[in-house]
Amino acid sequence: MVIGAIVIGIWSIIFLVGMVNGMIDSYVDNAIKNEVSHIKIHHPEFIKDKESKFYISDVINVKSGVDTISGVKAVSYKTILNAMISSSHAGRGISAIGVVPKDEVLVSGVSSRISEGNYLSDKKKNQIIISKRTAEKLKVKLRSKVVLTFQNLENEITMGAFRIVGLFETGNNIYDESVIFINQKDINKLLDFEGNGHEVAILINDLSGLEKIQKSIAKLYPDLLVRTYKEVQPELALFQSQIKMAGIIYMVIFMLALIFGIINTMMMAVLERVRELGMLMAVGMNKGKVFLMIVVETILLAMVAGPVGLALGYFTNSYFNKNGIDLFFYSEEGMKQFGMSKFIYPNVHVETYYQLVLAVSVTALLGSLYPAWKAIRLRPVEAIRGSFTSEKLKLFKKLFSLIKNKIQKNGSNSN
Amino acid sequence: MDLIVTKGITKTYNPKKIPVHALQGVDLTINEGEFTAIVGPSGSGKTTLLNIIGGLDRQTEGVLSVDGVNITDLSDNKLIDFRKNRIGFVFQSYNLIPVFTAAENIGFIMLLQKRSKKEIDTRVDNLLESVGIEEQKNKRPNQMSGGQQQRVAVARALASKPKFVLADEPTANLDSKATSDLLNIMENLNKNEGMTFVFSTHDQRVIDRAHRVVTLEDGKVVSDVYRSKN
Repeated sequence: MVIGAIVIGIWSIIFLVGMVNGMIDSYVDNAIKNEVSHIKIHHPEFIKDKESKFYISDVINVKSGVDTISGVKAVSYKTILNAMISSSHAGRGISAIGVVPKDEVLVSGVSSRISEGNYLSDKKKNQIIISKRTAEKLKVKLRSKVVLTFQNLENEITMGAFRIVGLFETGNNIYDESVIFINQKDINKLLDFEGNGHEVAILINDLSGLEKIQKSIAKLYPDLLVRTYKEVQPELALFQSQIKMAGIIYMVIFMLALIFGIINTMMMAVLERVRELGMLMAVGMNKGKVFLMIVVETILLAMVAGPVGLALGYFTNSYFNKNGIDLFFYSEEGMKQFGMSKFIYPNVHVETYYQLVLAVSVTALLGSLYPAWKAIRLRPVEAIRGSFTSEKLKLFKKLFSLIKNKIQKNGSNSN
Repeated sequence: MDLIVTKGITKTYNPKKIPVHALQGVDLTINEGEFTAIVGPSGSGKTTLLNIIGGLDRQTEGVLSVDGVNITDLSDNKLIDFRKNRIGFVFQSYNLIPVFTAAENIGFIMLLQKRSKKEIDTRVDNLLESVGIEEQKNKRPNQMSGGQQQRVAVARALASKPKFVLADEPTANLDSKATSDLLNIMENLNKNEGMTFVFSTHDQRVIDRAHRVVTLEDGKVVSDVYRSKN
């Protein structure tokens, strides 16, 4: 019983921690790949008011400069406009993002999320890709024409017609409905904006160097605003910390349940052996040794169960880490709204296993204290006779008579 | 020599609610080498007296001296040590440890006394021989008859080299042959090694073999009869 409780407890915790880490990774990866990248550069005013006039001049030069910094994996630059996209059926406000396709595919994951058609081409003109959900709302399909309307730098209304070459689906419905992608050359031409852009997006090789690279870029371009994904989308960091906190709370609850499981089963073990314990105390085993015996027994059981639970958790985690857990099986729309991928890949860090070994040892120790204390409270003379059981019976009888009296009292009051 | 001396021993259960006077001023002296049966009807206080003599329970009033020590004043831990080294117990239900073999059941008390493994092994073999169950050495309690289990219990009681053995209704769960065999063993140990035995019993077969019979009624000694040894 104790072994089973500990095995299931450890396995559950590993699986839960793996799921939590997998969810965080999935959410953050999705956000980084599709939306925020690791580092972004803007005109300082652009983040307050996304107007076209707050642009980065000679953005190509900025890209080249960032490319030279060690640790940078890929860089792309974009023109971003608030625009209205219209079809013959409907129109809606969106954020139009002008990209350089050959650079963008290295930074953004959108090119790999094309569900119909193709990604933008560097060679062809007036192409647009929109999300599948936007296409449904506009009642358009591949090769349909849509019109983008926006203000140019002189605040004059400008428009251009684009042909849909691809439909994408990132898995995050909110994001999908809010953006469209076009070739930067096309939109810059409409804006008379050659060589400029609103944003530089950067992917780095190793997240541990995030702040260092941010500082290097800021030093290189002191007039521009350089922010990490944590600053661009603080909710990402908040989400990470909240999910981690929830994971810790779940772990504590599991540990508490495990403690009570151990207490319960060890109490049963003590009560089943009342006569033997009484005899041991009668013939000369002192209370300290009886106490230690129960504690050591529990710890030994934990030492047997611990590795089994850890191994079970490790193999379950490894299996799902390779094959993934299909969350859309339960609620496709719900998970998409939440920005989650179709598959979660549970991921448990090595230190979690060390923490669990420590936590289970402490839990087993704590769980053994009460049964051990109950064992030394036994009086040998009663334990040998087995009258401990009858004391419990007396307690039940007392409780029963109290309830009976209460019911009778209530009955007489109502009469 | 006086081994056990009780003076004015009383034991009252539930003194504040409904007092039950289990013992009412028991004065008794048991000498070394005696083979004594404490008899009496159910509820007369036999087991209570044995428990108090064995330090398993404490008297309400009176003085108890065992092997020259006033055990009334001993702390719980000192009392446990006292029991470990000077008193052997045989219980009605044998109370053997089910996961131990006969040899382990006998030997573990010596482990508590921190004896050497060699000494324990030798003594276990001697004890098994003296109670006539050498062939049961490696069997667990559930593989032995009631009589054999009680013999293991006797051997366990003797393992710590106690000053005396207290046996509470030792034959209550045994048939006639097992009772007779057990009594022979205990009588021989008493005769040959001078081991003192004190029984509580209402088994006539035990009473007939006892050298001294102390009768209790309503918590008082009503007769104390010495018989000639056979």
